[in-house]
Amino acid sequence: MRSDARTEDLLRELAPQVLGALVRRHGQFDMCEDAVQDALLAAAQHWAEQGIPDNPRSWLLTVASRRLVDRWRSEGARRRREETAALLEIPEQGRSAAEHDDTLSLLFLCCHPSLSVSSQLALTLRAVGGLTTAEIASAFLVPEATMAQRISRAKESIRSTGARFELPAKSEQADRLRVVLHVLYLVFNEGYLTSTGPSLNRADLTAEAIRLSGMVHALLPAEGEVAGLLALMLLTEARRAARTLPDGSLVPLDEQRRDLWDRSMIEEGVALLTRTLGTTAVGPYQMQAAIAAVHDEAPSAAETDWPQILALYDVLERVSPGPVVRLNRAVAVAKVHGPRAGLALLGTLDDDERMKRNHRLESVRGHLLELAGDLSAARDSYQRAARMTASLPEQRYLALRAARLA
Amino acid sequence: MKYMIMTFGSAEAGLATMGKEWMLEMIQFMHNLDDDLRKSGELVSAEGLADGSQAKTVRFENGISVATDGPYAESKESLVGYWIVDVEDEDRALAIASRIVDFVKVPIEVRRVMDAPPDF
Repeated sequence: MRSDARTEDLLRELAPQVLGALVRRHGQFDMCEDAVQDALLAAAQHWAEQGIPDNPRSWLLTVASRRLVDRWRSEGARRRREETAALLEIPEQGRSAAEHDDTLSLLFLCCHPSLSVSSQLALTLRAVGGLTTAEIASAFLVPEATMAQRISRAKESIRSTGARFELPAKSEQADRLRVVLHVLYLVFNEGYLTSTGPSLNRADLTAEAIRLSGMVHALLPAEGEVAGLLALMLLTEARRAARTLPDGSLVPLDEQRRDLWDRSMIEEGVALLTRTLGTTAVGPYQMQAAIAAVHDEAPSAAETDWPQILALYDVLERVSPGPVVRLNRAVAVAKVHGPRAGLALLGTLDDDERMKRNHRLESVRGHLLELAGDLSAARDSYQRAARMTASLPEQRYLALRAARLA
Repeated sequence: MKYMIMTFGSAEAGLATMGKEWMLEMIQFMHNLDDDLRKSGELVSAEGLADGSQAKTVRFENGISVATDGPYAESKESLVGYWIVDVEDEDRALAIASRIVDFVKVPIEVRRVMDAPPDF
């Protein structure tokens, strides 16, 4: 249906703007959202046959308004007044200043803290990303009916909590933005699972996360963490082609073919990071991006600037302490001060409840034990990690790693 | 994250030995459960399996694979049915399983489906 890429890009770009304009005028986020989805589908059909109209945004807004009226009608006559108002409304000409805020308000609404994380993801992809329910369902490998139900429940709980379509109060904005960024980060992460769906594969989810983060960055250029997240995504996505073999098996960073890395994406990420660092308070996404950049800029694994990476992990652990950061820092410590030093740092995590069921502690330990030459202990750690992971490609990788040491 | 919620047993241990009242209640219970999971947008799939006594097992014997009658495991340990749910966290999967266990009073196994993104 949406085979034409230019049409699809345009529709996805306009989707949150049209929805924002509609909600601002009529309220009722849930009904407006359905109406905009109808309009997007209609546009995909009509535009393919008749070409893109002169003012695509007005076209969508008009069709969405009509669909909204249809929906009100089917609900009965109780909305007669709004109906008339919607019909009399002339489609917007040009862009208002409020539009900038509309897309943001929409994002904050879809990432409302009262929603479950899976609902936040689904709703953001549909209402802000303009994806269809079928596309989102296929990306998350669940039946379409399940996803449809999840989205409709999410909209229901937005209605029942009385969450409003507006920018959060200044005092709340930092916290709310953190939720939005976390949702985008999770969308990107989902895309890591290499699997092919019929219409939208997981690779497209990373592209979608980058597109949405780019949009948020354009709306909030002064927010360092938004830029940091976007840079982190670009610098990670740049390695995609090298990260897996054709059979889906994983290739660790130090064994990847660096000529397969996407240079232009790396340059874009580094440039963005360079523009950002130092302009605002340092945050975890900026630091993770900086670490990714050091890896990406090393001509070979052996030439990686580990002292620099260790220094960055020190900062990261200061701004965002936690066992996972500690774990990653242990790798950097091992590279700079030797595997035994890294293992000692790992030992500080042994009693951490949060790591009890995390396979990464054992997989990193296996790696450091292997570097230290303690092969039989390394094999045990890899095997333990293989039993604990919930990622199939990773389980195979770890089992293979263990088998190599047998 | 997805979890498989599995029930085990056999005809002798299960349905056949229970009274009519209980069976009617059980049918209603399962219907309601599936309905709730569907409405909450968590149900990926749910299937019941034919009784383990009807199973065949394919084994490697004398250099070739051979099909024989009967289940692989003891029939009382044989898989009876499963739900695959896509839920927020493990606690939620365990809560769903608890609801089933509170009704059927037999153990239920909950296992994560391998759908996590790898770390690299």
